[in-house]
Amino acid sequence: MSDNAHTDAMPADGLAAMVRRGLDDSLRFVVPIAIAFAVGAVLLLAIGENPLETYGLMFSEAFSSQRRFAATLSAATPLLFTAVATAICFRTGVFNVGVDGAFILGGLAAATFGVMLPMSIGWWIIPLSILAAMLVAAFWLWIPGVLLARLDVDEVVSTLMLNFVALGIAGFLVNGVLLSETSGNNTTETIHSTAELSRLLPPSTLHSGFLLGLACVFAYALWSSWTPAGFEAKLVGLNKRFARAVGISIPSTIIVVMVISGLVAGLGGASHALGQVHKFSDGFSAGYGFTGMAVALLARNSALGIVFGAILFGALASAGTTIQLFSDIPLDIVNVIEGTVMIFAVVELGKLTLWRKGKRP
Amino acid sequence: MSPEHPRTDRSVSTRIGARDISRNYGLVQANNGVSFNVTPGQIHAVVGENGAGKSTLMRILQGLEKPDSGTVILNDDPVQLRDPQQAIRLGIGMVHQEFMLAPELTLLENLVLGDEPMRTIAGPIAIVDWKKALTEARALEKRAGVAIDWDRPTATAPVHIQQYVEILRLLRRGNDVLILDEPTAVLAPQQVSKLIALLKQLRDQGASIIFISHKLHEVVALADHVTIMRRGKAVASASVDELDIAAMTRHIMGDAPADPSEQARAAVVLPDARRILRVEGLCAVTLDRSQALDNISMDVFQGEIVGIAGVAGNGQEELMECLAGLRPMSSGSISLNGAELAGKENMDFRRAGIGYVSPDRAHEGLARLASIADNVMAGSQHAPAFLKGPFRNLPAVGRAARQRLADLDVRYGALSDPVSSLSGGNQQKLVFARERASKPQVLIVSQPTRGVDLNGIAAIHAILKRHCEGGGCVVLASEELDELIALCDRILVLSEGRMVGAVRNEDATPETIGKLMLASGDGLEIAHV
Repeated sequence: MSDNAHTDAMPADGLAAMVRRGLDDSLRFVVPIAIAFAVGAVLLLAIGENPLETYGLMFSEAFSSQRRFAATLSAATPLLFTAVATAICFRTGVFNVGVDGAFILGGLAAATFGVMLPMSIGWWIIPLSILAAMLVAAFWLWIPGVLLARLDVDEVVSTLMLNFVALGIAGFLVNGVLLSETSGNNTTETIHSTAELSRLLPPSTLHSGFLLGLACVFAYALWSSWTPAGFEAKLVGLNKRFARAVGISIPSTIIVVMVISGLVAGLGGASHALGQVHKFSDGFSAGYGFTGMAVALLARNSALGIVFGAILFGALASAGTTIQLFSDIPLDIVNVIEGTVMIFAVVELGKLTLWRKGKRP
Repeated sequence: MSPEHPRTDRSVSTRIGARDISRNYGLVQANNGVSFNVTPGQIHAVVGENGAGKSTLMRILQGLEKPDSGTVILNDDPVQLRDPQQAIRLGIGMVHQEFMLAPELTLLENLVLGDEPMRTIAGPIAIVDWKKALTEARALEKRAGVAIDWDRPTATAPVHIQQYVEILRLLRRGNDVLILDEPTAVLAPQQVSKLIALLKQLRDQGASIIFISHKLHEVVALADHVTIMRRGKAVASASVDELDIAAMTRHIMGDAPADPSEQARAAVVLPDARRILRVEGLCAVTLDRSQALDNISMDVFQGEIVGIAGVAGNGQEELMECLAGLRPMSSGSISLNGAELAGKENMDFRRAGIGYVSPDRAHEGLARLASIADNVMAGSQHAPAFLKGPFRNLPAVGRAARQRLADLDVRYGALSDPVSSLSGGNQQKLVFARERASKPQVLIVSQPTRGVDLNGIAAIHAILKRHCEGGGCVVLASEELDELIALCDRILVLSEGRMVGAVRNEDATPETIGKLMLASGDGLEIAHV
C-alpha cells in the first residue's frame, strides 16, 4: 500500500526491506479500520445491539451475493474519483478539501449538457458532457490553486469555502433556469437516454463509470510513480524548499495538481450524473468529496489503497442503508466509523510506539 | 535565587561527572562505558567526531535521556536524573547552539523570563519588579565582565550579546554547571576571545564548564582538561598541558589516515584564466529579517575557489542565495560566461551551469523523508537519458543513482532507504553527487562541512578541489575560517551586507580576516590586500 516512493524501489534492494515496508503499509491501512470498528462496537453495545452480529450482517449485506457486491461497487464508484482527486493534491502537500464542490459542479455541467445537447448528435453527447464537466470542475479548482500559488492564500480555507459557493450556485440554478418543468423541485430534467452510461450488471445500478474510476486510479498510479511531473509533485509535497532548490517551480506544480484534481473530480461528477442518477438535483453529492478524503488518508495516497478504501466505504454505505431498513441500527453508525477511520488514518502509528518506549523505565 | 540551591562547594572533587555510562539506540552503542569527571572551577572540553557520542552524553547529564547502565555523579554522589527540570534545580544548565531567546522581547525580559522577580502591590496581586530585574542584570553583567544594553530588543542584538544573555540567565538561576554546545560556531575570532575571557572568569569564580567543540585550537586556548570521545567511548582524558593538537587529532580519528587537505592549497589560477562568473553592483532588499545586500561586485575565474567570510548574519547566506538564483535581486547583474542571469528563475541558473549546496542540509539540501535515490536524482527528472517517451525510465534512474553515489563514495544501505539514514558526511556527499551530476561550471557552496565529521570534511574538500582542477570554479561560504584559508585562492569579507575586503590566500590569517569581519562598511575603502 506504499506510495510511489516505494514502488520506485530498485530491484537490488533487499527483499527483506521490501517485505518489511509492505507489512508496515498494510498495518497502517488495517489498524485505523480496526480501531474504527472497535469504536463502533462500543456504540452498538451502548444501544443494546450485538456488534459481532451487526458487523456480520453488514458484511453479508455488502458482499454475499453478486447483486449486493454490485451495489457495493456502485457505491464505491464516486469515491474512486474523489479519492484520486484528493490524493493528487495531498501528496503534493496541498490540502485541498474542495473536491466535493468540484464534483457537484461537474455533475451539474454533465447533467445540463445531457439534457440540452440535441439528441441528433448521438453518442457524442457522452464525451461532450464529460468534457464540459471536467472543464468546469478544473476551472473551479484552478481558482484556489492560483490563489495559493501566487498570493499565498491558505488552500484549506479557500477550498472549504468554495464548497459552499458551489453548493449555492448549483442550488440557485436547479431552482431557476435549470429547473425541470415536469418533475418538481430542485432538480433538472432527466438526461437523454443516449447520454446515460451503460449499466454493467442490471438490475443493479453499477455502471461503466466504475470502469472509468478504475482507469482513473490506474492513471494516477502511472502519473505518480512513472512521470517526471508526478515525481516533482512528490518532492514538492515532501519539502518545498528542497524542491525549489533543485529547480522545480512550486507555483506551477501547485496549479497543475489543482487543475488535474479538478479534472478528476469533474469526471467523477459526470460519471455520477450520467451513470447513477441521470439528472442533477439538490443533494447530488452525499459528501462524496469528504468520504473520498477519508479514503485518500487511509490509503496514504497509494493507488491500490484507494481501490480497497473506496470498496470498504462503498460497502459501509450500501450495507448501512439496508441494515437501517431491516433493524433498529441507525445509519449514523457508518458515519461514526468513517470519522474514526479518518482520525486514526492520520495518526502516526510510529509515534505511539515511541511514546510507549519513553514510558518504559 | 532560592536558598536550597546547591552552591558551589569547592570541597567536592567531582562537581559533575559520569561513571561507566552506556546508552544504546537499537544496535548503535552511542555511549559505551563512558566515565569522566569535572571538578569545581574547571573548564572541561569534550571533543570528538559527530556520532562519537558527545551529544548523547550531554543529554544524559541534562536528564533528557536515561543511561542504560552507569550513573551520573553530582557532588561526588550518584544521582538519578528524572527529567531536565530536576537537572536545572541541581544547577546544571545548557547553552544550546541555537539560542532559546524570544526574539520579540528585550534582553532584560529574556533574562528573567520564567523566573521574574515579583513585587506584591495588594494582597495576592503581584507584578513583575522590573527595577529589581535590572539591578540583578547589572550585577550579573559586572560579575561576568561584559557590557549589555538590556533594553535592546533581542532580535536586534548581536549574536555574541545574545549568547552572553543566555549564559547570564543560567547564572541568575544558580546554575554553576554550564554545558556549552559549540558556542563559538557563530562568533568572529575577536568575539571568541571575549567569550573565552568570560568563561575563564566564571571558572575562577567556581563554575564548572563543559565545552563541546570541534575546534582544537580553541580547546587548547580555553580548557583546563579535555576528554576525547570516539565511537561511544571516552578514549582519552587528560589535562590540556599533556595533550597537544596532534595527539588530540590522533585520538579523535583513531587509525584514520592523516588529513592531507589541511595543507594550504596552492593557487591554481593562471593569470590569463577565463572569467566565469561576474557579479556587478548586486543589491537585494529584503522583506524578512535577513540582511540586505548593498552593491556587491566580484569576479570568479576558472579553477578558482573564492571564499566568502563574515560573522554569521552579515549577508553571506543572502549573497549565496542570489548567486544560486533563489533570492531575487533588486538591481545589479550576475553573468555566467557573459550571459546575463539577473531577473531569471533558479531553474535558469541551474540550466546555465550553476550548482548549489545549501547551508541548511536538513531543510533545503535534502528532502529528509524521501529516499536516497530520489534525493540524488532530483532535478534530473527531465533529462532525456532518464525518460522513455513520457515516462521515467526507472531502471536507468536507479543505475544512474548508484553511479553518482559510487563516484563520491557515499556509503548507504539501499537506494530506497530514507536519506535520513545516512550520516552527516554521507548526506553532504550525496548533495554534492546530485549537484555535480549536471556538470555545472560553478558550484555555490554554503557551509559544506557543518555537522560533518573529520573524514567527511576531508572528502568534501577533495571534491571541491577536484571540481576546480576539472575547469570549474567554486564560491565557498563558511563559518570555519581555517577551512576558507586552507581552500580558497581569495577570501572576500562581508559585513552588514557590504563587501568590506578581499584577502589573497598568501596573506590570509584568522587575524587579517577577523579584523575585516568586524569592520563596519561605512566609509571603508575596499581593502584589496
